[in-house]
Amino acid sequence: MKRISIDPITRLEGHGKIEIFLNEEGGVENAYFQIPELRGFEKFVQGMPVEEVPRVVSRICGV
Amino acid sequence: MAKLKLGSYWGAACGGCDTAILDVHEKILDLDAAADILFWPIAVDFKYKDVEAMPDGHMDVVLYHGAIRNSENEHIAHLLRKKSKVMVAFGSCAHLGGIPSLANLYDKKQIFQYVYHDSPSTVNPAGVEPQPTTKVPEGEITIPIFYDTVMPLDFVADVDYYVPGCPPTPKQIWNVVEAILTGNLPAKGSVVGASSKTQCDECHLKKNEKKITGFKRIATAQPEQETCYLEQGFLCMGPITRGGCDTRCQLSGVPCRGCYGPVDGVLDMGAKAISAIASVIEAKDEKEIEAIVAQIPDSLRTFNRFAIGASLLRRKTL
Amino acid sequence: MTFEPKIVGILCNWCSYTGADLAGTARVKYPPNVRVIRVMCSGRVDPTFVFKAFADGADGVLVAGCHPGDCHYIEGNYKALRRMKLFQKMLADYGIEPARFRLEWVSASEGERWAKIVSEMTEELRKLGPARLRQPRKNRAATSAA
Repeated sequence: MKRISIDPITRLEGHGKIEIFLNEEGGVENAYFQIPELRGFEKFVQGMPVEEVPRVVSRICGV
Repeated sequence: MAKLKLGSYWGAACGGCDTAILDVHEKILDLDAAADILFWPIAVDFKYKDVEAMPDGHMDVVLYHGAIRNSENEHIAHLLRKKSKVMVAFGSCAHLGGIPSLANLYDKKQIFQYVYHDSPSTVNPAGVEPQPTTKVPEGEITIPIFYDTVMPLDFVADVDYYVPGCPPTPKQIWNVVEAILTGNLPAKGSVVGASSKTQCDECHLKKNEKKITGFKRIATAQPEQETCYLEQGFLCMGPITRGGCDTRCQLSGVPCRGCYGPVDGVLDMGAKAISAIASVIEAKDEKEIEAIVAQIPDSLRTFNRFAIGASLLRRKTL
Repeated sequence: MTFEPKIVGILCNWCSYTGADLAGTARVKYPPNVRVIRVMCSGRVDPTFVFKAFADGADGVLVAGCHPGDCHYIEGNYKALRRMKLFQKMLADYGIEPARFRLEWVSASEGERWAKIVSEMTEELRKLGPARLRQPRKNRAATSAA
Protein backbone atom coordinates (compact mmCIF):
# COMPACT_ATOMS: atom_id res chain seq x y z
CA MET A 1 0.00 0.00 0.00
CA LYS A 2 1.46 3.37 -1.00
CA ARG A 3 1.72 5.97 1.70
CA ILE A 4 1.93 9.71 1.22
CA SER A 5 3.02 11.85 4.19
CA ILE A 6 2.35 15.55 4.28
CA ASP A 7 4.55 16.71 7.15
CA PRO A 8 4.24 19.40 8.27
CA ILE A 9 1.09 21.06 6.96
CA THR A 10 1.95 24.63 6.18
CA ARG A 11 0.64 28.16 5.78
CA LEU A 12 -1.54 28.05 8.87
CA GLU A 13 -0.98 28.44 12.58
CA GLY A 14 -0.35 25.17 14.30
CA HIS A 15 1.25 21.81 13.76
CA GLY A 16 -0.34 19.03 11.79
CA LYS A 17 0.41 16.11 9.57
CA ILE A 18 -1.57 14.06 7.11
CA GLU A 19 -0.98 10.40 6.25
CA ILE A 20 -2.68 9.17 3.09
CA PHE A 21 -2.84 5.47 2.22
CA LEU A 22 -3.50 4.59 -1.43
CA ASN A 23 -4.94 1.28 -2.58
CA GLU A 24 -3.82 -0.80 -5.61
CA GLU A 25 -5.83 1.28 -8.06
CA GLY A 26 -4.30 4.51 -6.75
CA GLY A 27 -7.45 5.66 -4.99
CA VAL A 28 -7.45 6.81 -1.42
CA GLU A 29 -8.01 3.87 0.93
CA ASN A 30 -7.82 6.00 4.04
CA ALA A 31 -6.42 9.33 5.22
CA TYR A 32 -5.44 10.36 8.75
CA PHE A 33 -5.13 13.93 9.98
CA GLN A 34 -2.98 14.14 13.10
CA ILE A 35 -2.26 16.96 15.51
CA PRO A 36 1.26 16.42 16.89
CA GLU A 37 1.06 19.22 19.43
CA LEU A 38 -0.41 19.94 22.82
CA ARG A 39 0.75 22.60 25.24
CA GLY A 40 -1.82 22.19 28.01
CA PHE A 41 -2.92 25.80 28.56
CA GLU A 42 -6.27 24.64 29.94
CA LYS A 43 -4.40 22.88 32.72
CA PHE A 44 -1.59 25.25 33.54
CA VAL A 45 -3.74 28.35 33.92
CA GLN A 46 -5.24 26.66 36.96
CA GLY A 47 -4.19 28.47 40.11
CA MET A 48 -2.93 31.44 38.14
CA PRO A 49 -3.69 34.99 39.34
CA VAL A 50 -6.67 36.21 37.36
CA GLU A 51 -4.93 39.23 35.85
CA GLU A 52 -2.36 36.89 34.28
CA VAL A 53 -4.82 34.64 32.51
CA PRO A 54 -5.82 36.90 29.58
CA ARG A 55 -2.18 37.74 28.99
CA VAL A 56 -1.16 34.09 28.99
CA VAL A 57 -3.96 32.61 26.90
CA SER A 58 -3.29 35.21 24.21
CA ARG A 59 -0.20 33.06 23.56
CA ILE A 60 -2.33 30.15 22.49
CA CYS A 61 -2.33 31.79 19.11
CA GLY A 62 -0.09 34.76 18.43
CA VAL A 63 -1.55 35.32 15.02
CA MET B 1 26.39 38.43 -3.71
CA ALA B 2 24.70 35.15 -2.90
CA LYS B 3 21.38 35.43 -1.19
CA LEU B 4 21.27 34.49 2.47
CA LYS B 5 19.64 31.09 3.01
CA LEU B 6 17.14 31.49 5.82
CA GLY B 7 14.95 29.08 7.72
CA SER B 8 12.42 29.67 10.48
CA TYR B 9 10.67 27.06 12.56
CA TRP B 10 8.32 26.78 15.50
CA GLY B 11 8.43 24.32 18.39
CA ALA B 12 5.75 24.68 21.03
CA ALA B 13 4.89 28.10 19.69
CA CYS B 14 1.95 30.35 19.03
CA GLY B 15 2.85 32.01 15.73
CA GLY B 16 3.42 35.36 17.45
CA CYS B 17 7.10 35.39 16.55
CA ASP B 18 6.30 34.67 12.90
CA THR B 19 3.73 37.46 12.94
CA ALA B 20 6.30 39.77 14.52
CA ILE B 21 8.69 39.00 11.66
CA LEU B 22 5.93 39.87 9.20
CA ASP B 23 5.26 43.04 11.17
CA VAL B 24 8.39 44.59 9.74
CA HIS B 25 5.84 45.52 7.05
CA GLU B 26 7.36 46.77 3.82
CA LYS B 27 10.87 45.85 4.97
CA ILE B 28 9.86 42.23 4.27
CA LEU B 29 10.55 43.08 0.64
CA ASP B 30 14.11 44.01 1.57
CA LEU B 31 14.36 40.71 3.40
CA ASP B 32 13.04 38.91 0.34
CA ALA B 33 15.61 40.64 -1.85
CA ALA B 34 18.45 39.63 0.44
CA ALA B 35 17.40 36.14 1.51
CA ASP B 36 15.94 32.91 0.19
CA ILE B 37 13.55 31.33 2.64
CA LEU B 38 14.09 27.60 2.58
CA PHE B 39 11.81 26.52 5.40
CA TRP B 40 9.04 28.46 7.18
CA PRO B 41 5.90 26.43 7.89
CA ILE B 42 3.63 29.40 8.57
CA ALA B 43 4.43 31.03 5.26
CA VAL B 44 5.93 28.60 2.73
CA ASP B 45 5.25 25.01 1.77
CA PHE B 46 8.55 23.23 2.44
CA LYS B 47 8.40 19.90 4.21
CA TYR B 48 10.67 18.15 6.73
CA LYS B 49 11.93 15.88 3.96
CA ASP B 50 13.11 18.96 2.05
CA VAL B 51 15.23 19.92 5.06
CA GLU B 52 16.47 16.34 5.47
CA ALA B 53 17.62 16.40 1.85
CA MET B 54 19.76 19.52 2.33
CA PRO B 55 23.51 19.15 2.79
CA ASP B 56 24.72 19.80 6.35
CA GLY B 57 25.20 23.48 7.15
CA HIS B 58 23.28 24.43 4.02
CA MET B 59 21.15 27.16 5.58
CA ASP B 60 23.02 30.23 6.75
CA VAL B 61 20.64 31.16 9.55
CA VAL B 62 17.77 29.34 11.21
CA LEU B 63 15.43 31.15 13.56
CA TYR B 64 13.91 28.65 15.98
CA HIS B 65 11.02 29.91 18.05
CA GLY B 66 8.78 28.05 20.42
CA ALA B 67 9.85 25.85 23.30
CA ILE B 68 10.79 22.16 23.38
CA ARG B 69 7.62 20.44 24.56
CA ASN B 70 7.72 17.14 22.73
CA SER B 71 10.01 14.79 20.81
CA GLU B 72 9.20 16.38 17.45
CA ASN B 73 10.27 19.84 18.69
CA GLU B 74 13.54 18.26 19.83
CA HIS B 75 14.05 16.18 16.72
CA ILE B 76 13.55 19.14 14.38
CA ALA B 77 15.83 21.27 16.60
CA HIS B 78 18.58 18.68 16.06
CA LEU B 79 17.82 18.49 12.34
CA LEU B 80 17.86 22.24 11.86
CA ARG B 81 21.05 22.54 13.90
CA LYS B 82 22.70 20.06 11.55
CA LYS B 83 21.47 21.83 8.42
CA SER B 84 22.38 25.37 9.49
CA LYS B 85 25.47 27.44 10.12
CA VAL B 86 23.90 29.78 12.67
CA MET B 87 21.01 28.81 14.94
CA VAL B 88 19.13 31.57 16.70
CA ALA B 89 16.85 30.98 19.70
CA PHE B 90 14.15 33.44 18.69
CA GLY B 91 11.59 34.70 21.17
CA SER B 92 11.02 33.97 24.87
CA CYS B 93 10.02 30.35 24.37
CA ALA B 94 13.22 29.29 22.63
CA HIS B 95 15.31 31.62 24.80
CA LEU B 96 13.91 30.76 28.22
CA GLY B 97 11.01 28.32 27.93
CA GLY B 98 8.45 31.09 27.73
CA ILE B 99 4.75 30.77 28.41
CA PRO B 100 4.61 27.03 27.59
CA SER B 101 7.08 26.43 30.43
CA LEU B 102 4.37 27.55 32.87
CA ALA B 103 3.22 23.97 32.31
CA ASN B 104 6.28 22.85 34.29
CA LEU B 105 4.14 23.30 37.39
CA TYR B 106 2.35 20.17 36.22
CA ASP B 107 3.44 16.99 34.50
CA LYS B 108 2.31 14.98 31.49
CA LYS B 109 -0.03 12.80 33.54
CA GLN B 110 -1.84 15.75 35.10
CA ILE B 111 -2.09 17.62 31.82
CA PHE B 112 -3.40 14.62 29.91
CA GLN B 113 -5.84 13.82 32.69
CA TYR B 114 -7.40 17.27 32.47
CA VAL B 115 -7.25 17.77 28.72
CA TYR B 116 -8.50 14.34 27.67
CA HIS B 117 -10.72 13.36 30.60
CA ASP B 118 -11.68 15.91 33.22
CA SER B 119 -12.22 19.20 31.43
CA PRO B 120 -15.88 20.29 31.29
CA SER B 121 -15.86 20.38 27.50
CA THR B 122 -14.17 17.01 26.96
CA VAL B 123 -16.39 14.24 25.64
CA ASN B 124 -14.31 11.08 25.74
CA PRO B 125 -16.38 8.14 27.03
CA ALA B 126 -13.84 5.59 25.81
CA GLY B 127 -11.05 7.39 27.70
CA VAL B 128 -8.82 7.65 24.65
CA GLU B 129 -5.45 9.32 25.08
CA PRO B 130 -2.97 10.16 22.33
CA GLN B 131 -0.39 7.40 21.88
CA PRO B 132 2.99 7.81 20.18
CA THR B 133 2.19 4.88 17.88
CA THR B 134 -1.21 3.77 16.72
CA LYS B 135 -1.94 0.71 14.62
CA VAL B 136 -4.44 1.34 11.87
CA PRO B 137 -5.68 -1.21 9.29
CA GLU B 138 -3.28 0.27 6.71
CA GLY B 139 -0.18 0.33 8.87
CA GLU B 140 1.16 2.44 11.73
CA ILE B 141 0.87 6.17 12.35
CA THR B 142 2.91 8.16 14.85
CA ILE B 143 2.79 11.37 16.82
CA PRO B 144 5.52 12.85 19.02
CA ILE B 145 6.15 11.89 22.64
CA PHE B 146 4.95 14.55 25.09
CA TYR B 147 7.69 15.42 27.59
CA ASP B 148 7.04 16.06 31.29
CA THR B 149 9.21 19.19 31.26
CA VAL B 150 9.32 22.07 28.78
CA MET B 151 12.82 23.16 27.83
CA PRO B 152 14.35 26.20 26.15
CA LEU B 153 16.15 25.50 22.87
CA ASP B 154 19.67 25.47 24.29
CA PHE B 155 18.90 22.43 26.41
CA VAL B 156 18.74 20.32 23.27
CA ALA B 157 20.85 22.13 20.68
CA ASP B 158 23.85 24.39 20.45
CA VAL B 159 22.53 27.93 20.14
CA ASP B 160 24.54 30.73 18.54
CA TYR B 161 22.39 33.74 19.43
CA TYR B 162 19.33 34.63 21.46
CA VAL B 163 16.68 37.14 20.43
CA PRO B 164 14.44 37.78 23.44
CA GLY B 165 10.84 38.93 23.64
CA CYS B 166 7.31 37.67 23.60
CA PRO B 167 7.42 38.41 20.76
CA PRO B 168 10.59 40.35 19.88
CA THR B 169 9.60 43.79 18.60
CA PRO B 170 9.59 44.23 14.80
CA LYS B 171 12.09 47.08 15.24
CA GLN B 172 14.54 44.80 17.03
CA ILE B 173 13.88 41.97 14.57
CA TRP B 174 14.94 44.28 11.78
CA ASN B 175 18.09 45.25 13.75
CA VAL B 176 18.94 41.56 14.03
CA VAL B 177 18.27 40.94 10.33
CA GLU B 178 20.53 43.85 9.41
CA ALA B 179 23.26 42.56 11.74
CA ILE B 180 23.01 39.16 10.05
CA LEU B 181 23.07 40.62 6.54
CA THR B 182 26.08 42.82 7.26
CA GLY B 183 27.86 40.07 9.19
CA ASN B 184 27.92 42.34 12.22
CA LEU B 185 27.14 39.85 14.97
CA PRO B 186 28.76 39.80 18.42
CA ALA B 187 30.38 36.82 20.16
CA LYS B 188 28.63 33.47 19.98
CA GLY B 189 26.12 32.98 22.75
CA SER B 190 25.16 36.64 22.99
CA VAL B 191 21.70 38.03 23.34
CA VAL B 192 21.02 40.23 20.31
CA GLY B 193 18.18 42.57 19.43
CA ALA B 194 18.00 43.93 22.96
CA SER B 195 19.72 46.36 25.28
CA SER B 196 22.34 45.26 27.81
CA LYS B 197 20.68 47.45 30.45
CA THR B 198 17.47 46.90 32.37
CA GLN B 199 14.01 48.28 31.60
CA CYS B 200 14.45 50.97 34.26
CA ASP B 201 17.08 52.61 32.08
CA GLU B 202 14.51 53.22 29.31
CA CYS B 203 11.39 53.69 31.41
CA HIS B 204 9.72 57.11 31.33
CA LEU B 205 8.19 56.91 34.81
CA LYS B 206 9.44 59.16 37.58
CA LYS B 207 11.67 57.33 39.99
CA ASN B 208 11.93 58.36 43.64
CA GLU B 209 12.96 56.25 46.57
CA LYS B 210 11.72 52.71 46.74
CA LYS B 211 10.20 51.75 50.07
CA ILE B 212 7.49 49.17 49.52
CA THR B 213 5.10 48.74 52.42
CA GLY B 214 2.64 46.53 50.62
CA PHE B 215 2.01 44.91 47.25
CA LYS B 216 -0.87 45.67 44.93
CA ARG B 217 -2.27 43.74 41.99
CA ILE B 218 -3.48 45.29 38.78
CA ALA B 219 -6.59 43.11 39.12
CA THR B 220 -7.73 45.21 42.06
CA ALA B 221 -5.90 48.53 41.85
CA GLN B 222 -5.04 51.03 39.14
CA PRO B 223 -1.39 52.09 38.81
CA GLU B 224 -0.89 55.83 38.83
CA GLN B 225 0.62 56.76 35.49
CA GLU B 226 3.44 59.18 36.34
CA THR B 227 5.50 57.34 38.96
CA CYS B 228 7.43 54.09 39.03
CA TYR B 229 4.99 51.19 39.33
CA LEU B 230 7.25 49.26 41.68
CA GLU B 231 7.35 52.19 44.08
CA GLN B 232 3.56 52.11 44.18
CA GLY B 233 3.70 48.44 45.17
CA PHE B 234 2.92 46.85 41.81
CA LEU B 235 5.17 43.96 40.91
CA CYS B 236 7.14 45.32 38.00
CA MET B 237 9.91 43.09 36.71
CA GLY B 238 11.66 46.10 35.16
CA PRO B 239 14.67 46.05 37.50
CA ILE B 240 15.83 42.66 36.26
CA THR B 241 14.47 42.60 32.75
CA ARG B 242 16.54 43.41 29.70
CA GLY B 243 15.50 46.56 27.87
CA GLY B 244 15.22 47.13 24.15
CA CYS B 245 11.48 46.73 23.68
CA ASP B 246 10.74 50.45 24.02
CA THR B 247 8.98 49.74 27.33
CA ARG B 248 5.73 48.98 25.50
CA CYS B 249 4.01 47.63 28.59
CA GLN B 250 4.96 50.51 30.88
CA LEU B 251 3.80 52.97 28.21
CA SER B 252 0.49 51.12 28.08
CA GLY B 253 -0.02 51.58 31.80
CA VAL B 254 0.98 48.16 33.13
CA PRO B 255 4.11 46.97 34.89
CA CYS B 256 6.77 45.05 32.95
CA ARG B 257 6.19 41.29 32.97
CA GLY B 258 9.72 40.25 32.13
CA CYS B 259 9.37 38.83 28.62
CA TYR B 260 12.74 40.11 27.44
CA GLY B 261 14.45 37.89 29.95
CA PRO B 262 17.16 38.84 32.42
CA VAL B 263 20.23 40.95 31.83
CA ASP B 264 23.64 39.28 31.53
CA GLY B 265 25.03 37.38 34.45
CA VAL B 266 21.68 36.24 35.82
CA LEU B 267 21.42 32.48 36.29
CA ASP B 268 17.83 32.39 37.45
CA MET B 269 15.45 35.21 36.62
CA GLY B 270 12.93 34.38 39.35
CA ALA B 271 15.64 34.28 42.01
CA LYS B 272 17.10 37.61 40.92
CA ALA B 273 13.65 39.18 40.82
CA ILE B 274 13.00 38.13 44.41
CA SER B 275 16.39 39.44 45.44
CA ALA B 276 15.85 42.83 43.81
CA ILE B 277 12.31 43.37 44.99
CA ALA B 278 12.80 42.03 48.53
CA SER B 279 15.63 44.46 49.10
CA VAL B 280 13.27 47.42 48.72
CA ILE B 281 10.58 46.15 51.04
CA GLU B 282 10.35 48.55 53.96
CA ALA B 283 9.93 46.29 56.99
CA LYS B 284 12.17 44.79 59.65
CA ASP B 285 9.79 42.80 61.78
CA GLU B 286 9.40 39.17 60.75
CA LYS B 287 5.61 39.12 61.08
CA GLU B 288 5.32 42.38 59.15
CA ILE B 289 7.47 40.98 56.35
CA GLU B 290 5.38 37.81 56.26
CA ALA B 291 2.19 39.87 55.96
CA ILE B 292 3.62 41.89 53.06
CA VAL B 293 4.90 38.78 51.27
CA ALA B 294 1.48 37.16 51.66
CA GLN B 295 0.05 39.89 49.44
CA ILE B 296 1.81 38.38 46.42
CA PRO B 297 -0.65 35.90 44.91
CA ASP B 298 1.74 33.47 43.26
CA SER B 299 5.48 33.91 43.39
CA LEU B 300 6.70 31.60 40.65
CA ARG B 301 4.21 32.81 38.06
CA THR B 302 4.84 36.47 38.97
CA PHE B 303 8.63 36.59 39.28
CA ASN B 304 9.42 34.03 36.63
CA ARG B 305 6.60 34.24 34.13
CA PHE B 306 8.64 33.60 31.00
CA ALA B 307 11.69 31.77 32.26
CA ILE B 308 10.59 28.78 34.33
CA GLY B 309 12.01 26.39 31.74
CA ALA B 310 15.41 28.06 32.06
CA SER B 311 15.36 28.40 35.86
CA LEU B 312 17.79 26.47 38.01
CA LEU B 313 15.18 24.03 39.24
CA ARG B 314 13.36 23.96 35.86
CA ARG B 315 10.10 22.52 37.12
CA LYS B 316 7.90 21.90 40.13
CA THR B 317 8.61 18.70 42.05
CA LEU B 318 5.44 16.64 42.16
CA MET C 1 23.54 2.07 54.21
CA THR C 2 21.64 5.01 55.72
CA PHE C 3 21.05 8.09 53.66
CA GLU C 4 23.39 10.94 54.55
CA PRO C 5 21.76 14.27 53.69
CA LYS C 6 23.98 16.84 52.03
CA ILE C 7 23.34 20.23 53.63
CA VAL C 8 24.91 23.37 52.20
CA GLY C 9 25.40 26.02 54.87
CA ILE C 10 25.89 29.67 53.92
CA LEU C 11 27.15 31.47 56.99
CA CYS C 12 27.95 35.11 57.65
CA ASN C 13 31.53 35.82 58.59
CA TRP C 14 30.92 37.79 61.78
CA CYS C 15 28.41 35.93 63.91
CA SER C 16 27.32 32.59 62.54
CA TYR C 17 30.65 31.40 61.12
CA THR C 18 32.31 32.25 64.42
CA GLY C 19 29.52 30.46 66.26
CA ALA C 20 30.01 27.37 64.12
CA ASP C 21 33.74 27.61 64.67
CA LEU C 22 33.11 27.71 68.43
CA ALA C 23 31.21 24.43 68.17
CA GLY C 24 34.42 23.02 66.71
CA THR C 25 36.86 24.42 69.27
CA ALA C 26 34.52 23.40 72.08
CA ARG C 27 34.58 19.85 70.67
CA VAL C 28 30.77 19.68 70.47
CA LYS C 29 29.73 16.46 68.74
CA TYR C 30 27.34 16.93 65.87
CA PRO C 31 26.67 15.34 62.44
CA PRO C 32 29.16 16.19 59.68
CA ASN C 33 26.49 16.74 57.04
CA VAL C 34 26.87 20.49 56.61
CA ARG C 35 29.26 21.91 54.00
CA VAL C 36 29.88 25.52 55.02
CA ILE C 37 30.34 28.45 52.64
CA ARG C 38 31.41 31.67 54.35
CA VAL C 39 30.03 35.01 53.12
CA MET C 40 30.66 38.38 54.72
CA CYS C 41 27.00 38.97 55.53
CA SER C 42 23.76 37.01 55.31
CA GLY C 43 22.53 39.97 53.26
CA ARG C 44 24.90 38.78 50.53
CA VAL C 45 22.92 35.61 50.09
CA ASP C 46 21.19 35.80 46.73
CA PRO C 47 18.30 33.34 46.35
CA THR C 48 20.19 32.19 43.25
CA PHE C 49 22.83 30.61 45.54
CA VAL C 50 20.19 28.57 47.32
CA PHE C 51 18.51 27.40 44.10
CA LYS C 52 21.93 26.56 42.69
CA ALA C 53 22.77 24.50 45.76
CA PHE C 54 19.63 22.45 45.23
CA ALA C 55 20.20 22.17 41.49
CA ASP C 56 23.74 20.96 42.19
CA GLY C 57 22.48 18.15 44.43
CA ALA C 58 22.00 19.55 47.94
CA ASP C 59 19.29 17.92 50.03
CA GLY C 60 18.94 20.98 52.24
CA VAL C 61 20.27 24.52 52.56
CA LEU C 62 20.90 26.40 55.79
CA VAL C 63 21.50 30.16 55.75
CA ALA C 64 22.75 31.67 59.00
CA GLY C 65 23.35 35.25 60.03
CA CYS C 66 23.59 37.57 63.00
CA HIS C 67 20.57 38.12 65.21
CA PRO C 68 18.35 41.03 64.10
CA GLY C 69 19.88 44.23 65.43
CA ASP C 70 23.37 42.73 65.65
CA CYS C 71 24.40 42.75 62.00
CA HIS C 72 27.98 43.86 61.49
CA TYR C 73 26.74 45.91 58.52
CA ILE C 74 23.69 47.15 60.46
CA GLU C 75 20.89 46.18 58.05
CA GLY C 76 22.24 43.21 56.08
CA ASN C 77 20.40 40.54 58.00
CA TYR C 78 17.09 42.37 57.53
CA LYS C 79 17.65 42.21 53.78
CA ALA C 80 18.39 38.51 54.20
CA LEU C 81 15.15 38.05 56.13
CA ARG C 82 13.09 39.75 53.45
CA ARG C 83 14.77 37.91 50.61
CA MET C 84 14.51 34.54 52.30
CA LYS C 85 10.84 35.02 53.15
CA LEU C 86 10.08 35.63 49.48
CA PHE C 87 12.37 32.76 48.59
CA GLN C 88 10.51 30.39 50.88
CA LYS C 89 7.30 31.27 49.08
CA MET C 90 8.89 30.44 45.72
CA LEU C 91 10.41 27.25 47.11
CA ALA C 92 6.91 26.13 48.09
CA ASP C 93 5.70 26.97 44.57
CA TYR C 94 8.43 24.66 43.26
CA GLY C 95 6.89 21.90 45.39
CA ILE C 96 9.88 21.53 47.71
CA GLU C 97 9.33 20.60 51.35
CA PRO C 98 9.79 23.70 53.56
CA ALA C 99 12.04 21.73 55.94
CA ARG C 100 14.74 21.64 53.26
CA PHE C 101 15.53 25.32 53.79
CA ARG C 102 16.26 27.09 57.05
CA LEU C 103 17.20 30.64 57.89
CA GLU C 104 18.71 30.85 61.39
CA TRP C 105 20.27 33.58 63.50
CA VAL C 106 23.36 32.27 65.27
CA SER C 107 25.56 34.53 67.37
CA ALA C 108 29.31 34.12 67.82
CA SER C 109 28.80 32.54 71.23
CA GLU C 110 26.11 30.05 70.18
CA GLY C 111 28.27 27.06 69.32
CA GLU C 112 25.97 24.60 71.08
CA ARG C 113 22.97 26.08 69.34
CA TRP C 114 24.64 25.75 65.93
CA ALA C 115 25.31 22.09 66.63
CA LYS C 116 21.71 21.57 67.68
CA ILE C 117 20.38 23.24 64.51
CA VAL C 118 22.55 21.08 62.28
CA SER C 119 21.64 17.89 64.17
CA GLU C 120 17.92 18.65 63.94
CA MET C 121 18.09 19.51 60.27
CA THR C 122 20.13 16.41 59.45
CA GLU C 123 17.61 14.13 61.12
CA GLU C 124 14.65 15.86 59.50
CA LEU C 125 16.23 15.54 56.06
CA ARG C 126 17.16 11.93 56.72
CA LYS C 127 13.46 11.24 57.21
CA LEU C 128 12.47 13.25 54.13
CA GLY C 129 15.00 11.51 51.93
CA PRO C 130 17.11 12.85 49.08
CA ALA C 131 15.84 15.99 47.36
CA ARG C 132 16.71 14.64 43.90
CA LEU C 133 16.76 18.12 42.39
CA ARG C 134 20.09 17.79 40.63
CA GLN C 135 19.83 19.26 37.15
CA PRO C 136 22.16 18.71 34.20
CA ARG C 137 24.33 21.66 33.32
CA LYS C 138 22.87 23.63 30.46
CA ASN C 139 24.70 24.13 27.16
CA ARG C 140 24.88 27.84 27.68
CA ALA C 141 26.82 27.86 30.94
CA ALA C 142 29.72 29.33 29.01
CA THR C 143 27.83 32.12 27.29
CA SER C 144 27.02 35.66 28.38
CA ALA C 145 23.33 34.86 28.53
CA ALA C 146 23.99 32.45 31.36
